[in-house]
Amino acid sequence: NVNIIEFLGKWGQAIARARCAFAIMLHLNEGRFWATWRCVLRGCVPKKLLVYASKYSHEFEESCGFGWKYAAEPEHDWSTLIANKNAEIQRLTGIYKSTLKNAGVELIEGRGKIVDPHTVDVDGKLYSAKNILISVGGRPFIPDIPGSEYVVDSDAALDLPSKPKKIAIVGGGYIAVEFAGIFNGLQSDVHVFIRQKKVLRGFDEEIRDFVGEQMLLRGIEIHTEQSPQAIIKSSDGSLSLKTNKGTIDGFSHIMFATGRKPNTKNLGLESVGVKLKENGAIEVDEYSQTSVPSIWAVGDVTDRINLTPVALMEGGALAKTLFANKPTKPEYRAVPSAVFSQPPIGQVGLTEEQAIKEYGDVDVYTANFRPLKATLSGLPDRIFMKLIACAKTDKVLGLHICGEDSPEIIQGFAVAVKAGLTKADFDATVGIHPTAAEELVTMRTPTRKLRRTPSEGKTDSEFKAAAGV
Amino acid sequence: MARKMLIDGELEKPNEEKTQYDFDLFVIGAGSGGVRASRFSAQYGAKVGICELPFHPISTEVIGGVGGTCVIRGCVPKKILVYGASFGSELEDARGYGWELNERIDFNWKKLLLKKTEEIVRLNGIYKRMLANAGVKLFEGEGKVVGPNEVEVNQLDGTKISYSAKHILIATGSRAQRPAIPGQELAITSDEALSLEELPKRAVILGGGYIAVEFASIWRGMGASVDLCFRKELPLRGFDDEMRAVVARNLEGRGVNMHPRTTLTELVKTEDGIKVRTDHGEELLADVVLFATGRTPNTKRLNLEAVGIELDKNGAVKVDEYSRTNIPSIWAIGDVTDRMNLTPVALMEGTCFAKTVFGEQPSKPDYSHVPCAVFCIPPLSVVGLSEEQAIDQANGDVLVFTSTFNPMKNTISGRQEKTVMKLVVDGETDKVLGASMCGPDAAEIIQGIAVALKCGATKAQFDSTVGIHPSAAEEFVTMRSVSRRIAAGKPKNNL
Repeated sequence: NVNIIEFLGKWGQAIARARCAFAIMLHLNEGRFWATWRCVLRGCVPKKLLVYASKYSHEFEESCGFGWKYAAEPEHDWSTLIANKNAEIQRLTGIYKSTLKNAGVELIEGRGKIVDPHTVDVDGKLYSAKNILISVGGRPFIPDIPGSEYVVDSDAALDLPSKPKKIAIVGGGYIAVEFAGIFNGLQSDVHVFIRQKKVLRGFDEEIRDFVGEQMLLRGIEIHTEQSPQAIIKSSDGSLSLKTNKGTIDGFSHIMFATGRKPNTKNLGLESVGVKLKENGAIEVDEYSQTSVPSIWAVGDVTDRINLTPVALMEGGALAKTLFANKPTKPEYRAVPSAVFSQPPIGQVGLTEEQAIKEYGDVDVYTANFRPLKATLSGLPDRIFMKLIACAKTDKVLGLHICGEDSPEIIQGFAVAVKAGLTKADFDATVGIHPTAAEELVTMRTPTRKLRRTPSEGKTDSEFKAAAGV
Repeated sequence: MARKMLIDGELEKPNEEKTQYDFDLFVIGAGSGGVRASRFSAQYGAKVGICELPFHPISTEVIGGVGGTCVIRGCVPKKILVYGASFGSELEDARGYGWELNERIDFNWKKLLLKKTEEIVRLNGIYKRMLANAGVKLFEGEGKVVGPNEVEVNQLDGTKISYSAKHILIATGSRAQRPAIPGQELAITSDEALSLEELPKRAVILGGGYIAVEFASIWRGMGASVDLCFRKELPLRGFDDEMRAVVARNLEGRGVNMHPRTTLTELVKTEDGIKVRTDHGEELLADVVLFATGRTPNTKRLNLEAVGIELDKNGAVKVDEYSRTNIPSIWAIGDVTDRMNLTPVALMEGTCFAKTVFGEQPSKPDYSHVPCAVFCIPPLSVVGLSEEQAIDQANGDVLVFTSTFNPMKNTISGRQEKTVMKLVVDGETDKVLGASMCGPDAAEIIQGIAVALKCGATKAQFDSTVGIHPSAAEEFVTMRSVSRRIAAGKPKNNL
């Protein structure tokens, strides 16, 4: 009787580190013989490498202001980048496999399916398990519209045979925005089509405005309030995108970054009684247990907070619950995150809109400035920072930054926000000079003080704040 | 109130029982500390006057400029040069990412210097405007303390003007010192280094502190051959030993010739450049020799002894916890007091001074958990205790967590340069006593960590914070295994 975990992804590493005897199966993705660890193969890692590659064009421009001179305009060779990127990913895959092996985890390659609460079928062979963990992640979703077969998703975009000359990216979320930056930096002609007025719905409004402006300044065209209706391929091979506002021609590629759906088809879930949500995500309780007591689920397949470090947290908590005799719930408060747009975004805690809703009276501190580098490069780069504090308790409720190095900057501050530190704590910390980060500990005057006027029937924000929420 | 003019060098007798002063506060020195103290005091309603020497990138005893060392010949121009130098290796790394660049990319030092000068002049103007906007009266000239409530400004046209002030604040900062080595006049200090006409092809640097290390990185990054000579086994004495070793390794990896346990004995001018002799008998040839052997407080010409202000053996003004000297109406902040010589600390001292004297809120600057950075390439940044300090000070065991890795960016560029990140934890209380990092973006990363550390965050609190992925910073919240545990009471081995 072996504890079998149906494995896909990084949380398996967390489980493995719990030092128990496990067997793992790999889910093959449409016949491709990769282990489809999303983050390493098709997500965070290759994405970041492409972001690094694409940032250089901006750096070349910047360097001119610092005295560097190029005899010829630097040119980019896409195939070199993709080859090197793939080599790195292979190397990481090898490392992950070793990590599993060294932890004593048995890795079984094949297509897994659940047969009953304690049995898994891998390509016809049956395995019995005390516990089953489903962590098959998600995959890109492309709406079923005419011509959708010509569309590339993020998976394909990371492995295109050649660099797009002119690309339409449909979508306004982080994936769309990141790829827009990547292709723009690699000198493609980039057009983004979004349904809303601004990119990154759900993010702090001022951040959405700021990053949108910065994207425009870098030459990305953003077409707002447009919904895709069809893709038409012309005789010369170029693609046209038809939306509710009209048709634009001449694209070499059209990419859809229109959301991701949990990978729950054909796993046998319905027959075994595992409850799913409307979008196909597996329903779990606070301990990641499904409606079937011996079956658990973590990561993107549960559609909670779809980030690798959160999946790691969920996996780690589950390992403790199942095998360390320490029932542990993953904690979702103050989870920081980043968007690797250009410039990138880092955030932790509540947006201004959420803070006002939950706390009523908040003080908002903002800074919008040209970093030292830009005063010499002459480029229109700027940094935007926002700190939101509860007026009553002085607790820092949220931090939002958009500008160079934001993701790296936010991490340390996330420790502070998670620990419930106040604006006074921030202010008592001496700055490191010269940096951009020091701005966050030197914000003296609120940009605006928001006070909710008392209204009938609404929860008293003061009461909430006093309760220490 | 009539100002007293000095006629024939004779001071008019002061009026008795003077309760009305020209100024509530007169500040000598308009650098980081002086400007901060002036503005904040003025905001509390004080009538403030400030004097500063005329502006020039290179300082002398009588030349300085509004903005002070930080803006004109310190932090700001230094960072600009570090940016300039960093591009060199960045451009090399771009090739692994598919970029096709010429074999050699030209670097125009003069252009960078020109832009640097434009920027410091612009900032100098901004600082002047900040003072004006705060209602602070700025005088150009050399200030001296004449009495407990009297200063004298020697203006540019030679006339001397004196003012009475309820409080006097000395914020004259410090200047680079030159060791008494034969031929020392051939060497330059950081002032000149930030304003050189030509980029040196060969540079010899004497010193092991942050200034020496930063210039080594800057010139090497721009393609110069660099020899770094320092007295100890490793540079950056006072920093965590493990981190010092990382910095040294990185400098070596980038091609800086390291000469530990070395000092210079003689400089001689030759046709081929400056011949430099070391105490190991080695001879080096250089276009530029930089002395970065420390800075001394600017107190010589202030007439302090005549007023009875106590100085320490280095010439720094002695002050109490509130920045007050032994003369009740005279105060001092910033590098001239030689406490923690960092701009943000001078700002803190200035703020506390203004609060104490004019804000009716006696405030002592807090020197615990002050983060700082050394902008070598890649940079080092630290906050809290080093491992050695923690072992010395902690009651219980000390736990050390380290993470050493080649950053993701390097995996494709092929650069072999490991980032090292470290947390030092009190085994008894689980408090994080110190954090340090040597790697790209270290300073930006440590700032947020410093907030947590200052407030006594525990390792458990660090661990309960979810990481941001992919980043280098996330390593700080995912260090699970102890690298080493040092039992309480173990003797330390300092290098």
